Amino acid sequence: MPDAATVKSLVFAAITELLEDNSVSITDDTPLIGGESLLDSMRLVELCLALEDKSVELAFEFDWTSDTAMSKSRSMFRTAGSLAAEFINQMESQK
Amino acid sequence: MIVVTGASKGLGRGICDRLISKGFAVFGLARNAGELPFPSMRCDVSSYDDLKAVAQRLKKDGVRVDGLVNAAGIASMNLAVTTPPTVSQNIVHTNLLGTIYCCQQIAPLMLRNKAGSIINFSTIAVALGLKGESIYAASKAGVEGFTRAFAREMADFNINVNCIAPGPIDTDLLSGITSAQIEHIISQQIIPKQFTPDAVSDLVEILLDERSRSLSGQVLHVGGA
Repeated sequence: MPDAATVKSLVFAAITELLEDNSVSITDDTPLIGGESLLDSMRLVELCLALEDKSVELAFEFDWTSDTAMSKSRSMFRTAGSLAAEFINQMESQK
Repeated sequence: MIVVTGASKGLGRGICDRLISKGFAVFGLARNAGELPFPSMRCDVSSYDDLKAVAQRLKKDGVRVDGLVNAAGIASMNLAVTTPPTVSQNIVHTNLLGTIYCCQQIAPLMLRNKAGSIINFSTIAVALGLKGESIYAASKAGVEGFTRAFAREMADFNINVNCIAPGPIDTDLLSGITSAQIEHIISQQIIPKQFTPDAVSDLVEILLDERSRSLSGQVLHVGGA
């Protein structure tokens, strides 16, 4: 199983693939929801589906419909960093 | 595969039988799904965890979901002031939250295909404002509002979301309602006659058909309102 840094880069790459301008650099603080998000709601769902596929490749199941995902105050979609952290957390908890 | 809730009896069962007779693959969900003669799974639609388990199974089995028919529902004919809170909660949990939970869990399985049809169920009691059905109508008015907004959310993914609102159809839901009350409701429909479960299955078939791709966010009243 790849290390956390590698998986984080996979998540960031999945985000980049969905941007119209994929020269944009994704950082931990890149917002995924709200007015400053680079992704519209449709792209956000597509990102979830792409991460679902990546999780299958990594032999775990990425759940993006949990309470944590849905809750706005602590949503994993706040930023690219929080999404990557949740993805890695789910991967490690299913080892 | 078409996922149908409330598959063990009433409208849901009739819809399953109709779809199977027309060559659709059906996956039924019901609280007592054990002895259904088609693929099914036990599920209480008011339980988010039950629906999550259903979605996980369908995903694990690699099932392609083309449609969702949210036919599960309960009714209670009572004045609002004489309805116990637990009954009100059950009605809202099953009819409104059950529909929302099903859509939340099953729609993601359809997003990938960028095609599909979701059919929710309301009642003519919403449009007619029927006395003695205020809580039931409130739960179904919620379903109608959810349907319209959810249809917009799904439109980007080419998934249509519509709602069928039957008048008094002869099923278990009508037990406890007198024939005089049924006649009174029917008299307020645009077409003042009692329709059969077959009429509802006809509409389900139409909404699952490619030729209804231009319809989304609509409430279709059986009998007219």
